[in-house]
Amino acid sequence: MLNKIAGHEVDRRLLLKGAAAGGLGIAGATMLAGCAPGSTGPISFGARTVDESPTIQLKGLVDAYIAKTGNEVTYNATESNAFQNNLSQYLQGTPDDCFQWMAGYRMQFFADQGLLVDLSDAWNEIGDQYNESYKIAATAADGKQYFVPQSWYPWGLHFRKSMMAEIGMDADSVYNWDDFLAALGEMKAKGLIGLASADKGGWEAMGMFDILNARINGYQFHVDLLAGREKWTDDRVKEVFRHWEQLLPFMNTNVLDLEWDGAMQLLLQKQAGFFFNGSWFGANFLEQSQEDYDDLWIIPFPEINPDNARDTIDAPIDGFCVAKNGANNAGGADLAKFAGDIEGVQAMLDTGIPMTSANNGQDRSSYDAFQLQQVAVMDEAKYITQFLDRDTRPDFAGPIIGPAFQSWFKDPSSTDSILESLQSQWDALPAL
Amino acid sequence: MTSLVKDQKTKNSQKIKDRFISAFIGIFAIVWLFPIAWTLFSSLRPYKDIRANGILSWPSELNFDNYIEAIERMELPRYFYNTAIITLPAVFLTLFFGSLMAFVVTRYSFKFNVAMLLLFTAGNMLPAQLVFIPVFKMYMAIGDLVGDRRILYDNPWGIVLIHVAFQMGFATFVLSSYMKTIPKEISESAQVDGASVFTHFFRVMLPLLRPPLASLAVLMTTWIYNDFFWALVLMSTDNKRPITSALGRLQGEFVTDYNLLAAGAMIAAIPTLLVFFVLRKQFVSGLTLGATKG
Repeated sequence: MLNKIAGHEVDRRLLLKGAAAGGLGIAGATMLAGCAPGSTGPISFGARTVDESPTIQLKGLVDAYIAKTGNEVTYNATESNAFQNNLSQYLQGTPDDCFQWMAGYRMQFFADQGLLVDLSDAWNEIGDQYNESYKIAATAADGKQYFVPQSWYPWGLHFRKSMMAEIGMDADSVYNWDDFLAALGEMKAKGLIGLASADKGGWEAMGMFDILNARINGYQFHVDLLAGREKWTDDRVKEVFRHWEQLLPFMNTNVLDLEWDGAMQLLLQKQAGFFFNGSWFGANFLEQSQEDYDDLWIIPFPEINPDNARDTIDAPIDGFCVAKNGANNAGGADLAKFAGDIEGVQAMLDTGIPMTSANNGQDRSSYDAFQLQQVAVMDEAKYITQFLDRDTRPDFAGPIIGPAFQSWFKDPSSTDSILESLQSQWDALPAL
Repeated sequence: MTSLVKDQKTKNSQKIKDRFISAFIGIFAIVWLFPIAWTLFSSLRPYKDIRANGILSWPSELNFDNYIEAIERMELPRYFYNTAIITLPAVFLTLFFGSLMAFVVTRYSFKFNVAMLLLFTAGNMLPAQLVFIPVFKMYMAIGDLVGDRRILYDNPWGIVLIHVAFQMGFATFVLSSYMKTIPKEISESAQVDGASVFTHFFRVMLPLLRPPLASLAVLMTTWIYNDFFWALVLMSTDNKRPITSALGRLQGEFVTDYNLLAAGAMIAAIPTLLVFFVLRKQFVSGLTLGATKG
């Protein structure tokens, strides 16, 4: 039933080989780790998407790997939500050897449980193709790497160049909080929505919290807060909400009725000036028309506390992990290494699907202006965070913070009681 | 004269009552039908129409484009096949084992037969969400024991087994209630004629169980067909999962086209609807089966 990528037929001998490799993999995965590439036997690859463009991209990667090594690779795709919700069972059960996953806490969580394969060896070989920040994002608590980055996208302030020209605003020069509030006020005076916002899904507003907290209190406090080392009832957190409250008058009034794409529509239709979101939605603009896409621009979120300048950015990194319980650890690691190596990156780029890769060696001459600007925004930051729901416990982010932010939107004056309840719910979580 | 007036009064009040009841039923019928009608309506509207005009607008066009796209993206034949190889064995085995159980607890009296019936019925009450982690661990342990983790986990037979285990309680309960209404004399005469236990079951009881078996088969088919949970947690390879999870293929990571999803849901519901309309009679009798104990 498995999808054969290269059109190879499964013959009996290969199946037997696979079974033998499977047995060995369970019995002594570490023994195999030293094997040379090309001799690893069949590998299965688990894609965390069924969407059209990423599928083309990933199949391009897998095909290139098959062409290079001659190894058999089967491609299994699962819809992303189902994959994510079921990952714990997946990793404990019969996972694919190499699978698509995310960096940061979401990776560490499983690495700490011993469900991922140590990829330090691969990092020794390809590590010099990446900035240090990516290596940090790929490292778990034990100091080893368990993740190979594929691509990233920054969270920033997006706007339409033509719209800013129409209302005579120099949005590029918005540098700090005062500039930002002045720009928003100007747009409000013109009857426009200053900042398109959404939080129906419960996660959209997390990005705003991340960036405000990092700007006001700094990277370290943000990371410590999400790891439970600081308290939500801290005055510094309240300061975040005081700043957030200043933005409310400039937002659309139906924040809780819109999902992120509803807020995007406001920008697309030029009803709103700014939209704070991950740059991935550029693809939706491109779907609409090339003209709309070319009109799109991004700048870093403005500085609030000069001590921190604009040194932090939410830039979720997607990439690959290798599952310990897979049948072929060595093969999985080899495939992951190939994906992180410039050769694999090039194979994905050759499919023509736009990607801002984490790899330094990537040929950026093919980047369009918007992609180059994303890189510029990214380069200004010293610290990369992964987005709130990737940086803290999964049982805290979705079920607890999400609804808490939503209730804050309903009644911003209840900040204190919401934060108290957040802290007490964190305290009530079972130890990991 | 007075009695006539009184009759008139009762008639009137009866009429008002009837009207009230009709209105009540009508409201509930609408409440029940609305989601289905809305799904059907949504499935016929293109997403871009909603993008442009909003959900509550008058549709500018209605067509079957969503259906065509859903069929393409859902890989229907594969997922229907997956559903079939789970549902058919599961229903068959549930009914088979359920009738054996019912036969024993009603026709033979021994010390534990009431306790056993209770056990089976009580097991049915456990929510699946409560037991799935232990079941998962058990499947893993059995897999490790025989050296192949896919012997139950990530295997259609593992799903079949868990369905049989879960549905058997209900099947046993219904079938034993029905069996109690069959006169004991039939069994006694079979035994007097020298029928063995197996002949007694297969040649005498089983043919008499045809009506409840038919209704149960219909109920079980719909229940097992509609299951999403077990296939999600006990399978790791998406293309082995049944049709209910194929609906997930219509969702994107960030955007979900709900109109397309509505079309997919309508397609996935067709087989259950067919089963229902073909075997409507059994379905209704199945709901009340076992309600009256002889």
